[in-house]
Amino acid sequence: MGGTQKKKYERGSVTNYITRNKARKKLSLSLPDFRRLCILKGIYPHEPKHKKKVNKGSTAPRTFYLLKDIRFLLHEPIVGKFRDYKVFVRKLKKAYGKTEYTNVQRLKENKPTYKLDHIVKERYPSFIDALRDVDDALCMCFLFSTFARTGKCHVQTITLCRRLTVEWMNYVIASRSLRKVFISIKGIYYQAEVMGQLITWLVPYQFAHDHPTDVDYRVMATFTELYTTLLGFVNFRLYHSLNLLYPPKLDAKAESELKDENDEDYAMNSESYLEKLSALSTSLATVVATTEEEEAQLDQFPVEDEDMEKMEAREREQKEQEAQKKLLEGHKFFLNREVPREPLAFLIRCFGGEVSWDKSVCIGSTYEMTDESITHQVVDRPNVDKKYINRYYIQPQWVFDCVNAKIVLPVEDYFLGVTLPPHLSPFVEEKDGDYVPPEKLKIMALQRGEKPAQEEEEEEEEDDDEEEEEEEEEEEDEEEEEEENNLKKMEKQRSQGKNLSVKVTAGKVKVENPERLEQEEKAEEKRLAIMMMKKKEKYLYDKIMFGKKRKVREANKLTAKRKAHDDAEKSKKKTKANK
Amino acid sequence: MAANRRMKRMASSQPGFIKLKSVSGDDSLGTTRRKRLNKNKKKNWNKNIDINDVDEFLEDIRHQERTTGGLLSEKTDESLFFLDVGPPKKAERRVAPVEVKMRRGKPVRPLRIDLILQHDSLVAAPKDVLSYQLPNAKKLRRIAQKAEHLAAKGIVPRRQKKLLNLRPVEKTESKAVTDANNNPERDFYDIWAPEIKSTADPWYLQQTRKSRVKRPEKLNAKPSALPAVEVIAPGGSYNPDFFSHQALLQEAHDVEVKKQKAEDKLVRQLAVNKDHLATEETIFREQVEGLVEQEDDDKDEEAGAADDGVIVGAIAQALKKTEKERRKERAEILKEQSRQADKEQTFRQQQLFQLRSIKTSIKQDEADTKVKQIQRKANQEAEKSQPRRLGKLKFQAQDLEVQLSDELAGSLRQLKPEGSVLKDRFKSMQKRNLIEPRERAKFKRRLKVKYQEKRAFREIT
Repeated sequence: MGGTQKKKYERGSVTNYITRNKARKKLSLSLPDFRRLCILKGIYPHEPKHKKKVNKGSTAPRTFYLLKDIRFLLHEPIVGKFRDYKVFVRKLKKAYGKTEYTNVQRLKENKPTYKLDHIVKERYPSFIDALRDVDDALCMCFLFSTFARTGKCHVQTITLCRRLTVEWMNYVIASRSLRKVFISIKGIYYQAEVMGQLITWLVPYQFAHDHPTDVDYRVMATFTELYTTLLGFVNFRLYHSLNLLYPPKLDAKAESELKDENDEDYAMNSESYLEKLSALSTSLATVVATTEEEEAQLDQFPVEDEDMEKMEAREREQKEQEAQKKLLEGHKFFLNREVPREPLAFLIRCFGGEVSWDKSVCIGSTYEMTDESITHQVVDRPNVDKKYINRYYIQPQWVFDCVNAKIVLPVEDYFLGVTLPPHLSPFVEEKDGDYVPPEKLKIMALQRGEKPAQEEEEEEEEDDDEEEEEEEEEEEDEEEEEEENNLKKMEKQRSQGKNLSVKVTAGKVKVENPERLEQEEKAEEKRLAIMMMKKKEKYLYDKIMFGKKRKVREANKLTAKRKAHDDAEKSKKKTKANK
Repeated sequence: MAANRRMKRMASSQPGFIKLKSVSGDDSLGTTRRKRLNKNKKKNWNKNIDINDVDEFLEDIRHQERTTGGLLSEKTDESLFFLDVGPPKKAERRVAPVEVKMRRGKPVRPLRIDLILQHDSLVAAPKDVLSYQLPNAKKLRRIAQKAEHLAAKGIVPRRQKKLLNLRPVEKTESKAVTDANNNPERDFYDIWAPEIKSTADPWYLQQTRKSRVKRPEKLNAKPSALPAVEVIAPGGSYNPDFFSHQALLQEAHDVEVKKQKAEDKLVRQLAVNKDHLATEETIFREQVEGLVEQEDDDKDEEAGAADDGVIVGAIAQALKKTEKERRKERAEILKEQSRQADKEQTFRQQQLFQLRSIKTSIKQDEADTKVKQIQRKANQEAEKSQPRRLGKLKFQAQDLEVQLSDELAGSLRQLKPEGSVLKDRFKSMQKRNLIEPRERAKFKRRLKVKYQEKRAFREIT
């Protein structure tokens, strides 16, 4: 007994937290300023585990911050700048009220400003850290750069965002690091691999904005403020890693080519350089004159067997990537005016193609439509008046699908007026046993170098489908054992509504196949291993197998459904044709 | 001046001096009677002495000087006399040094008033000495000398330095614009270049706020495990595969159904129960409540009285226990205790034979805890990618962007974008716990608005 009485809520988790309002008062900032500071410094609200304890017995919903975080904020020099800004606004208001316009002028000239460089350095101590967080920055900058200059945010911010995004795109082109692209109803998703980091970003369509009212523009602008600074520094570093000049300069040769056009009527002098850069049609100037790139060979190390496979896989992957980088090299494109110029020019240039457009569409077109060496013309309208014989007229989706498939797809499916095959998302990765849409199977077959048979009649198509299924089957065969295989076959056949084939046929001479023998041996080994399993493990194994089977079953169901759908479509078409 | 005057006087006393005007005062001298006056007062001197002669003389000198530029007596003969040989030729006439302005080919004659006002005296105007004098000339001269001395040494005085510093720098743009964070022309540098380590004492640097406070490592952890950009499901392609599109539609449908259910539930709960509505009978009963005496009440009262009696008795009984009762109670407790101990003893002995089942149960428990642990860990992992409750409002996911089958565009040209990327980004940030979900502040009018018809309008209607 004795001693002072313990007071409630003075020790324990309460001491770790602080409410938002208290934090705000501690920093003597207004709420918007506080919010801004937290965003810039990367300090986020925290949900305590025991809310009632932290909230001193009350259960009212509150925003909490960690006390240590707020204490850290006290050291931030920008806090002082915020206070200065507050005073500045007050003085300005007063000067306006008194109609002292010379004072207004003077005050405006001495408007307090701040830089976020130190914050970027603090939050991202190394370049890789920054690169990991650049997704967000890219999304925001691309978004803001498409805003109309109507006062929703500062025009300067929009211009800066545009500049930074153009720089980024030019970098991606120069480094050929684009991997995937997906046209969705929301916008276009891109994925690039920069210094081993996969970076995904979303670019909205041009002119697609209706400004939603439930979005806090101030918060978004604050994020953008930070992200523009971050992206600028990242761009600088990336350009220097490629030996490119920063801020980017057009190649001297290209510049002289572009000069002779009368570009005054296109853009103001101050803007024309950025516009030329954003045309994405020419390469950039390097710091040192480029020597021929020597292919960096992977160093070979003597490795053990397990690593060998990995090494081989890696090498194969790298080769594939190299091939993808040069995907469109040697192709010459011309974009019709109804085609979205920027994404297509970006894509084509990313994979080494040459691209141009009508002179009136945008600055920086390099050749005209009459050029005889054009191989592909990208058109997005039902028909074209004047056609050249020696070029393909394709729809824009071809370029996107080629990029995702990593091969130059046959152009027949993408000709003018042809119903396009579906645009599949490259971000979906199917595990074995999942349902794979037939279009993807086709592409996979093409990737393997097989040539698909052209389907003309329905019967043939049916056979084809079966073949495809068999292919699928084969893939699964490799991994699964024969018993299950049989089971699955039976299942499939049942799903297709066929009877089991019970027939007596003439015997054939069996040819000994060493490969087959080997396979059988392997299968035998596997079966023995299963038999030797402990009960518990066996149970687990069975469960896994059951799950796999179920997946296969579902996939089969989907394929059957798809077939039915296709058939229905076909029949509909036929009836239409007959009419 | 004095010397000049003296000289003039001397000249006039000489016998050869000729006066321009004949003095008429000489004959009046003899006629007037001499006055007798005191001459011992200066006042009288001025008053009564006749100085006409001196005045006239001086006037005459002034006149000579004005008209001829000097005393006639001092002039040479040549300048005074000339040989008259008829009227002078016109060509020789002296031309006025002032250039004559021409108007319409004719010389412009000066105005008569100008001629009248012209200065025609030949005596030069006296110099204004004061205008030539410098106040503080000596001091200034000394200062100038000192400045020269310093300049020779190359020292710039403080005042001049201040002025030099004040000299406006040619500014093209204001500082605010170039320093601004969002200046489109701002330049970037290699922020991640290896720094040069300063040799100063880190403690000193920290205390003088020259080095920044280190950011706690914990702050670099992301508040959510979600990726920054979540790619839309494959059904969201502009030209989707049939099944993935159906799957996306199904998902959107499920969301809508859930919403609808919640709404319906609310409506159901808010609906008025018909049984609770007042009927005529209940209304009437309410109106006559307490007015009509009922017999039931009396009965109730009686029953209450009976109950009271019983309770009183029980309390009285509980208050007092006899010694015997106490003894009995104690014995009972002891008995119960021993019985309990016996039971435990036998149970322990019996457990020896239950070893196997105990073992299995322990194993079962352990397995259970392991499962629970795994489950908990999985839950924790899942929690990391879940939006947290950070404020008043819960996070609400935005509506799924979906295009119905008939809305799908056949080609890229006809594509109609769905949803807003801005909103998507905003929601993504809320989902990743970067910002708390908020509602737009509602506009609240503080003062009432008063509507008034204008008179003109009222007159018409």
